Amino acid sequence: MSEKGKMNGEQFGGAVRLREEHEKVVKDCESRIDHWKKVSGDYEALNDRLKTLPDKLAYDIMVPFGPLAFMPGKLVHTNEVTVLLGDNWFAKCSAKQAQKIVDHRMKHVKHELDELTKTVKNFEARVGFAKDLETMALNKRDYVDIREDFGNNEEGVHKGKRRIALKPKSKPKLGPVIDLKEEDEEDEGEAHKSVLSEQELWARLDELEKLEQLQDEQDRLSDTADTNGEDTSSSSSEEEKDGDPAASVNAQSLKPSWTTEPPREEPSCKDTKDDDEEEEVHSLPTIAFSHTVEPKKVRINTGKNTTLKYSERKEQKDHSKKKKKNGHSNGHLHPEHYKITTPADLYRLFVDVKNGEPVPRKSILKSRSRENSVCSDTSESSAADFEERRMMSRSFSHDDNTTHSDTSDGVTEEDSPAAAPAHQASRFEAFSATVIEKDPMPTTVPHLTIAHPALPTILERKQEEVGLETSSTDCTALPPPPPPPQPPQPAVKKLSKFKAARLQQM
Amino acid sequence: MAEAIQKKLKAEVDKYTLMQKDVSKSMSARQKLETQLTENNIVKEELDLMESANTVYKLIGPVLVKQDLDEAKATVGKRLEYINGEIQRYEALLKDMEKKSDQQREVLSSLQQEFQKAQGLVVGKA
Repeated sequence: MSEKGKMNGEQFGGAVRLREEHEKVVKDCESRIDHWKKVSGDYEALNDRLKTLPDKLAYDIMVPFGPLAFMPGKLVHTNEVTVLLGDNWFAKCSAKQAQKIVDHRMKHVKHELDELTKTVKNFEARVGFAKDLETMALNKRDYVDIREDFGNNEEGVHKGKRRIALKPKSKPKLGPVIDLKEEDEEDEGEAHKSVLSEQELWARLDELEKLEQLQDEQDRLSDTADTNGEDTSSSSSEEEKDGDPAASVNAQSLKPSWTTEPPREEPSCKDTKDDDEEEEVHSLPTIAFSHTVEPKKVRINTGKNTTLKYSERKEQKDHSKKKKKNGHSNGHLHPEHYKITTPADLYRLFVDVKNGEPVPRKSILKSRSRENSVCSDTSESSAADFEERRMMSRSFSHDDNTTHSDTSDGVTEEDSPAAAPAHQASRFEAFSATVIEKDPMPTTVPHLTIAHPALPTILERKQEEVGLETSSTDCTALPPPPPPPQPPQPAVKKLSKFKAARLQQM
Repeated sequence: MAEAIQKKLKAEVDKYTLMQKDVSKSMSARQKLETQLTENNIVKEELDLMESANTVYKLIGPVLVKQDLDEAKATVGKRLEYINGEIQRYEALLKDMEKKSDQQREVLSSLQQEFQKAQGLVVGKA
């Protein structure tokens, strides 16, 4: 304890001295600035004098005789000026040449002034920091020392690019959430905002991860039907979250979860670490971090203004179910499977399971029955989801998979006019994978908003497969309202048939 | 024992202060040279502004002596080179001195520690 006190005392003393030194420098600089300003003023006056001097051939003046006496006299040779060039060198010049020299010197003086002002600014900033350091050393409670143990390359390969690109997004969205949290939570009295926000963020991430794990266990235990599972589980998961004591505080911040989820998403999509928060008691309260891998999370809307969490556990559920059907058990592979580190992984993930074997899809956005799709975009989504999906798609297809993002943008475009009603009531799965929106476009509107390689395939398939089930599908919502009623109908039928055919396929 | 160490310590401290003085001397000399350098640079530039019609004088004592413009330029150039050389020399000297003073500082600190130990022992004994 005494040692702590000592350390603080030292810190404090050191901070004080630092500040004093900085202030000295600042004062010194200021005095120099004054000097140069004087010089500059003198040169200005000289310049004026030189301008007017050659106006007359001779001036009547009172010539100083020593320090006490003056004598009337004349100032002659008004154009001849002997200039001190420096270092005991003189030059005789005309008044105008002298003016040139004066200008040249003024440049130099300005240069010096500028440099000095720069240093003054810098040191003033440093003084400010030193002051903060002082107050920090004094008031233990208000400031927190955050420490993070750096483990070299614990997590293997990270995509540095992704991380950088996504970082700017996370911060603005975190702001409001963190403010909420500050109101709600009782922290250890940390007042400093930047530190707090970080700390709370880590706390939140940690809690969410715990929740995830809880849900994992739950799902594994209750391995009931998926059909109702998705929605109910999502709602139940939200309920869980609400009810969870650890997340009781989060409940409020879950609702404005759009803001939190993206940052949650992004770190996961970044395929980076999750952070556990530990607090250690130091002289200053310290928070130490260690890194663990966070399970991937993707949020996808099923159009009912419910946001389902596509997470690993659901995938596992799906896959475990399927594999049970097919007699496989591959559960332990899942976490590795669903890690997306390269664009190629997307295609690995976005597979259809036919008869127990993953069949790679031609296009990620192609509609499949939800049952079989691992992850896909939904066609029905409220406007709020677009951004998220965009972000998601961006995070997935960061550099290379531009096609994916394009089509998803196209999807979102299409979806906006069509406020989507419910998807098929019979099939409630996490992902309604119908990006068939492109289909009605050629029939209804001649132009294609986005010409895309994937599109022709969709169109072709739809035109080929003509089933005969009229089930209300997502597609019905898709054709935009303005187009005439007739084309949508056959289009709808086509789509539904297509859907049916597809369903039949699987 | 403690007294012997004390004497040693004093001697070392004196050495160290001497070294520090030398360091500061060379530092100030170097600063002078720096100012001269800037001044001569300005003179050079202003001489370049001058035309040959202007007479150039050099102040030697109380006398202004006429100089040729080209001569003056040459002289100033040479002086500049000289100053640069001096600065480099002083820099090398300064480095050396700093090293030595650091070594001396280390010696001092080790001696201080010994002295404290010895004092502690003495206090313990007494």
